[in-house]
Amino acid sequence: MPAATRAVHLLSANKTNPLSWWLAGISLAVTASLTSNVFILIAICTGSLLTIRLCRDDSPWAQSIGFYIKLAAIVVALRVLFRIIFNLGTSTKDAFLLLPSIDLNLGFGNSLRLFGPVSQEAFSFALVDGFRLAAIILAIGMANSLANPRKLLKSTPGALYEIATAISIAINLAPQLIASLGRVRRARSLRGQSKGIKAMAGIVIPVLEDTIDQSMGLAASMSARGFGRKGNRTYLQTIGARLLAFVAICLIITGSALLLFSPQNQGFPLTLLVVGIITAALSVKLSSARATITRYRKEPWRLGDLVLLVAALILVSLAFSGVFAR
Amino acid sequence: MIELKDLTFSYLKSDGSKVSETPQLNNVNLSIGAGEFVLVCGPTGSGKSTFLKALNGLAPSFTGGVITGELKINGVNYIGSEPHEFASLVGFVNQQPENAFVGDTVIDEIVYCAEQLGLPIDQIRTSVENISEILEISDLLERPLATLSGGQQQRVAIGSALVAGQKILLLDEPTSALDLDGAAEVLRILKKLSAEQAVTVLLAEHRISRVIAEVDSVLVVHGDGSVTKGAPATQFNDSRFAPPIIELGLKLGWKPLPVSVSDASLMWNKSNTSFEQKTFFEPKAEVLKIENLEVSFGAVQAIRPISFSLFGNQITALMGENGSGKTTLCWALQGSGTKTKGSVTSFKGDTAELGSNERLEVLTMVPQRAADLLFLPTLSAELEESDRFANVQSGSTAKLFRDLAGRIDTSIHPRDLSAGQQLSLVLAIQLVKQAKIVVLDEPTRGLDYSAKHALANQLNSIRSEDRSVLIATHDIEFVAMVSDRVLVLEQGSLIIDDSPLEVLGFGKPFASQLAEITQEPGLISLEQVKL
Repeated sequence: MPAATRAVHLLSANKTNPLSWWLAGISLAVTASLTSNVFILIAICTGSLLTIRLCRDDSPWAQSIGFYIKLAAIVVALRVLFRIIFNLGTSTKDAFLLLPSIDLNLGFGNSLRLFGPVSQEAFSFALVDGFRLAAIILAIGMANSLANPRKLLKSTPGALYEIATAISIAINLAPQLIASLGRVRRARSLRGQSKGIKAMAGIVIPVLEDTIDQSMGLAASMSARGFGRKGNRTYLQTIGARLLAFVAICLIITGSALLLFSPQNQGFPLTLLVVGIITAALSVKLSSARATITRYRKEPWRLGDLVLLVAALILVSLAFSGVFAR
Repeated sequence: MIELKDLTFSYLKSDGSKVSETPQLNNVNLSIGAGEFVLVCGPTGSGKSTFLKALNGLAPSFTGGVITGELKINGVNYIGSEPHEFASLVGFVNQQPENAFVGDTVIDEIVYCAEQLGLPIDQIRTSVENISEILEISDLLERPLATLSGGQQQRVAIGSALVAGQKILLLDEPTSALDLDGAAEVLRILKKLSAEQAVTVLLAEHRISRVIAEVDSVLVVHGDGSVTKGAPATQFNDSRFAPPIIELGLKLGWKPLPVSVSDASLMWNKSNTSFEQKTFFEPKAEVLKIENLEVSFGAVQAIRPISFSLFGNQITALMGENGSGKTTLCWALQGSGTKTKGSVTSFKGDTAELGSNERLEVLTMVPQRAADLLFLPTLSAELEESDRFANVQSGSTAKLFRDLAGRIDTSIHPRDLSAGQQLSLVLAIQLVKQAKIVVLDEPTRGLDYSAKHALANQLNSIRSEDRSVLIATHDIEFVAMVSDRVLVLEQGSLIIDDSPLEVLGFGKPFASQLAEITQEPGLISLEQVKL
């Protein structure tokens, strides 16, 4: 299948801008949150997994997918289990799972009823809800596995550089935690197995310490190479950018609040929102204007990115237009 | 270039008042010239790292503590400045480059500092060209960092530290994780930088025997707060960290002390000193039988089929380059590592099939990252837990630890120990267990010479109990001191299984420094030299 091979080649992790993978992942997650159609949810889950399988490289963050799969499975199981345990009033008529109920007297209000008959509808509702969460987790997992957090840094505007650095270190943390968990568990068995809390502490403490040590080491190395230097921005520029940012935040918050609470009049809040976003962009532009950081090589946008972005855009507009809703 | 006046650095206690003990650095006064190549050494945990970090603001910024006095670089006092304010003047390289990398490819990593300092693109381009030529990494620029060897990674880290034209380079044990070739490669580059580019190099190291002949001066951080600096031969009256070449000179009363192999060679020939034949111990009962052991990770064959046995009353060294499979083999022997084919048979059966506590009766191991084994909040809690688990008399682990690392306040957190002290602690915890076999993966990293002697004594007493020791290491001098047998791995195959004389002797693949100096067949370690 030369066409498929070419597509994979086009989209492989090291050939695409990490930003487009995050946009694709977020739009999949948004789509999942807007739909109750179980087929679409399952399609998103398998689609994300398949994309990772085909497009990933052998970088450490690409190895974290096992973790996301486990997390997604646990979430689905927990969601269904909670529905069965905290079972709120189903009549026995259309029960699908007949469990004896337990009444707990809490000493105040009504007694709490656990278990009891579960209707098929309630069960499938919980299952769909679980799948929705799983789809969101896997979509974000896909972005995290395919987007190289270090490359992500290079695509951010200068003004957001420090925030982006914090985020990219945080994203880096998950695969690092997983790697050191494996190592410490193996090393821990060399000490001999103590029981109870101690065994738990024997794993958790070295892993956390190791992760914090590594992050501190990275931060120290970045700092020693000039990261965090305040540039030669003038006082006026700094104040201007901050003022604009403040105004932008106020406009965006007011706009979205009005949009959510008074749905009948949408013109005014939408205007506020758009003006707010423009102000925010201006603020970022102003802060980046005298960027103190050189970009030796910019991360280019390629054909693969265009494909991803168009796909994401189509997906989200379809989701908002209600095509996927059942 | 660098001038220190009354530089004092102390850590703070949590209540905000100064520590009552002597500060880490106390009234340090010294100066370092442009292009000077300085070796920074001192006993385990004396504060070499802290000293280096104080020179570019990482201490106290990333370590906590207070710094006072004067720190002048080119005449400007930088005391109390943040690390990034030093970035255009001072480059810093740490022990494990892979933990400090921010880029993906070599070029990303090298330009990072220049980008942060906002240098113009043209200037960065010429600078990258120059520096990559000096460091001999021009043809590596587009390679992903993860595919480089340790020595190459360390050279990239040096490039990244000097790309903005920094004339001062601080290196915190840059070769401790490297094999012999990798270490030699880094050392040669440093020598070149100081001689040809007038870069002032401050190099903190433990394995100093091969460094000492190359440097202009030696700076000693004594551990009591004092720091001294002088010509290499004058700084080693404290034999806790004197390398074998100096120890030989001290033992035979040579004056002046030789620091290079050729000088020492001349003096040896004149001195007519005799030496004893090295005694090796006769192996006793077989304790571990390895048959056709094979380890693969996916398509990569880390260990090709190998067979050998470990015996009681024998210390076996396992040597080989980085990536030759030493660590993989250690874990496969221990039983919890990957094992694709073959068997590792102990008196309790195949180690892979034992439970973890059963395994500990057969074999105890100290892995490369020793700190992974520590999890309790205080040193004393760790020592007590170890006594309890090993079912030995209370205080046994503490005594062993004291032998290895000296007297240390046991109320402190194990994370506050230096890397060498942490290793000593884990060694004590693991050696106190009465397992038949002891496997140590790089057990001398960060240990000073006195700690190495203490470890050697401990291993000798383990051997005398008819137990077996396997040490995976790059440390030739240590192998010469303790081993009865040497195995050498190359790309996963066992290529040598022989007496230490055949591996470490003069003209052999891993000739020890003493063998090189004396050129005597049969002489590899200092203990053999008679007065």
